[in-house]
Amino acid sequence: MTSAAVIALPTRRVEEWKYSDLRAALGDEGFGSGFARAALGPLPQGLECFYLDDANRPAWVTDVYGTLKSNTVSAVSLALAKGGVALRVRKNQAVEAVTLNFSGAGHVRALLVLEEGASLTLHESLSGSDTRNIGFEIVLGANAQLNHVRLSPAAGAAVQVEEVAITLARHARYHFHNAAFGSKLSRLEMYIALEGEGAEAHLTGVCVINNDHADITTRMHHAVAQTHSTQFFKKVAAGKSRAVYQGKVSVAVGADGVDSRQTAKAILLGSQAEADLKPELEILADDVKCAHGAAVGDLDADSLFYLRARGLSENEARNLLLHAFLEEAIPEMALGLVLDQVNDALERVSA
Amino acid sequence: MLEIKNLHVKVGDKEILKGLNLSLAAGQVHAIMGPNGSGKSTLSYVLAGRAGYDITQGTITYNGEDLGALAPEARAAKGVFLAMQYPVEIPGVTTMMFLKSALNAQRRARGEKELDAIGVLKIVRQKAATLNVSEEMLKRALNVGFSGGEKKRLEILQMKLFEPKLAILDETDSGLDIDALKLVAEGVNSLRDPSRAMLVITHYQRLLDYIVPDRIHVLAKGKIVAEGGKELAKELEAKGYDQIIKDAA
Ligand SMILES: Nc1ncnc2c1ncn2[C@@H]1O[C@H](COP(=O)(O)OP(=O)(O)OP(=O)(O)O)[C@@H](O)[C@H]1O
Ligand SMILES: [Mg+2]
Repeated sequence: MTSAAVIALPTRRVEEWKYSDLRAALGDEGFGSGFARAALGPLPQGLECFYLDDANRPAWVTDVYGTLKSNTVSAVSLALAKGGVALRVRKNQAVEAVTLNFSGAGHVRALLVLEEGASLTLHESLSGSDTRNIGFEIVLGANAQLNHVRLSPAAGAAVQVEEVAITLARHARYHFHNAAFGSKLSRLEMYIALEGEGAEAHLTGVCVINNDHADITTRMHHAVAQTHSTQFFKKVAAGKSRAVYQGKVSVAVGADGVDSRQTAKAILLGSQAEADLKPELEILADDVKCAHGAAVGDLDADSLFYLRARGLSENEARNLLLHAFLEEAIPEMALGLVLDQVNDALERVSA
Repeated sequence: MLEIKNLHVKVGDKEILKGLNLSLAAGQVHAIMGPNGSGKSTLSYVLAGRAGYDITQGTITYNGEDLGALAPEARAAKGVFLAMQYPVEIPGVTTMMFLKSALNAQRRARGEKELDAIGVLKIVRQKAATLNVSEEMLKRALNVGFSGGEKKRLEILQMKLFEPKLAILDETDSGLDIDALKLVAEGVNSLRDPSRAMLVITHYQRLLDYIVPDRIHVLAKGKIVAEGGKELAKELEAKGYDQIIKDAA
C-alpha cells in the first residue's frame, strides 16, 4: 500500500515541488500506515458534524467529497484516508467559532460546507511532530463567509503537508490567516477558485522558522468577473532554513474587473537561511488590476543601531523589529490566537 | 568627562577621522562646526558606538572608562545620548511603545525599577507638551511620515526623557523653523547642569545665539583645526571656513 502511495508522490522535477523535496523527506516509509485524526472542539449551535469513517455518508457529503482535490498528494490522501470529519452550516445560519485539530500520523480528510448566506469562524490547529497528510475541501455558497485561522507549530523531524481546496460562489468571502513554524518539511498548498461574481479571498500569513522548512504554495483562480483577492505573507528564517512562497494568480478569459494583489516578504537571519518567494501572474482577461511583489532582506542595520543607541539590547532591538515586521501581516481575527506563538518563536531566533 | 585623544577612525577602507583631539568637562556645552563631509557625524556615530566605524588609533575616555569597548546600549545606560542628524523611521513600532521600551531598558541596565505604562505615559506627556509634540504623534509609528522638524523635536523629547550625562546633538537645528529652533534650544538649556556635558554639532551661528557654548571647535578633514570661545562662530560666519583654517595653520 505504501509503495503505491510513494509512486504517486511528486518529485522535485515537478515545478510546484521544486523547493520541497517530498520524496526525499519522506523516504521509504511514505506517510506510514497509520491514520491521522481530526478532532473538533465543543460543537457550537448550528454546526453539523459527520465523521467520515462512517461509510453511510449523507448526500451533502458525497455530493462534494473528493471533487475539489487538485494535487497528487491530495489524491493520495483521498485514496488512502479512512477517516476525518465533514462539517456543514445550513443556509443563513451564523455560527460562532469552532476548533478543528489534526493530530497523529498518516492521512486524513476534512470537508466544510457553508451553504448560502452561512457564516463560520474556524480555528484549525495541528499538533504533534507526526508525519501527516491532510486533504481539506471547503465549499462556500453564495454570500457565505468563512474566517479561517490556521496554526501550525514547529514539528521537528516530521513531514507535514496539507492541501486546502476551496470554491467560492457569488459574493462569498474567505479570510484566511496562517501562522507556521516549520518542520523538516512543512507545506500548505491552497487552491482557491473564485467561481461567482463578487467573491473575494484574503490570505495572510506569518512564518518563523529556525533550521527548518516551511512552504506555502497558493493557486488563486479568478474564474469570473468582479472577483477580488489579496495575499500578504511575511517570513522570518533563521539558521539553516528555507522559507517558500509560491503564489500563482490566474485570471480567466473574460473575467474583467478582477482586482488581485500579492506580496511576500522575508527577513533572513544569518547566511544559511534561504527564502524563495515566487509570486506569479497568468492573465487572460483585459480589464484587470493585478499587482505582485516580493522582497528578501536582512534586518535593517540603521534601525538596529537607532534602537540600541537608545538603550535596547541587541536581542530586544532585533525582537522588536522582527515583531513589527510580522505584525503587519497578522489581521485582527488572528492576533489573539497566534501572537504568543509568534513571540515565543521570535525569542528563540533572537537569542 | 570626555577625553578624545589622537582619534583615527576608518569607515570601510576610508580613514575619516585623522587624529582628532577634544576634551569636554562636566557642566560644559561645546559646539562643533565644520564643512560638509569633514567628519562631524562620523565622530557622533563613533561616540554612540555604531558598527562599522573602526577606531584604528587613539582613545575615547568617558568618565575614566574606555568608551570604545562598550556596546551602544551600554553607552546609553551610562548616559550617552546622540540626537541623530537623520533619525530612523521604524514602521510597525509606535512612538509611545518605543519610548517605554527604551526608557525601561536603560533603567533595567542601571538596576533601577521599571516604570509601568501609565508611569511612562505621565512623564512623556509632560515633556511632550513643552516641545509641542502631539498625542497623535506619539501614537504613530516611530518617525514614519514625521516632518523633518517633527523628527528633530522627537529626538529632543527623548533627550529630556532619558536625562543623559553626555548629549551629542548632530545638526538638530537643521530644517527647523524659528519657533521650533527656540523650543529645541529651550529643551537643551533646561538640561544644562553641572553634572552634564553637551556637544552641539551645527552649521549655523544662529543656534549658538540660543545655546551659548563654552567653547567652539572647528572640524575639518577629520581633525580639530581651530578652537575658540563663542565669538569664533561670528568670525566663521564672516570669513568662512577656508580663511579660518588658513589662519589657524
Ligand atoms: N559608510 C561610509 N562609507 C564611505 N565613506 C563614508 C561613509 N560614511 C561617511 N563617509 C564619508 O565620510 C566623510 C565624513 O562624513 P560625515 O557624515 O561624518 O560628514 P559631516 O561632517 O557630518 O557632514 P555634513 O555636514 O554634510 O553632515 C564624507 O566624505 C563621507 O562621504
Ligand atoms: Mg553630518
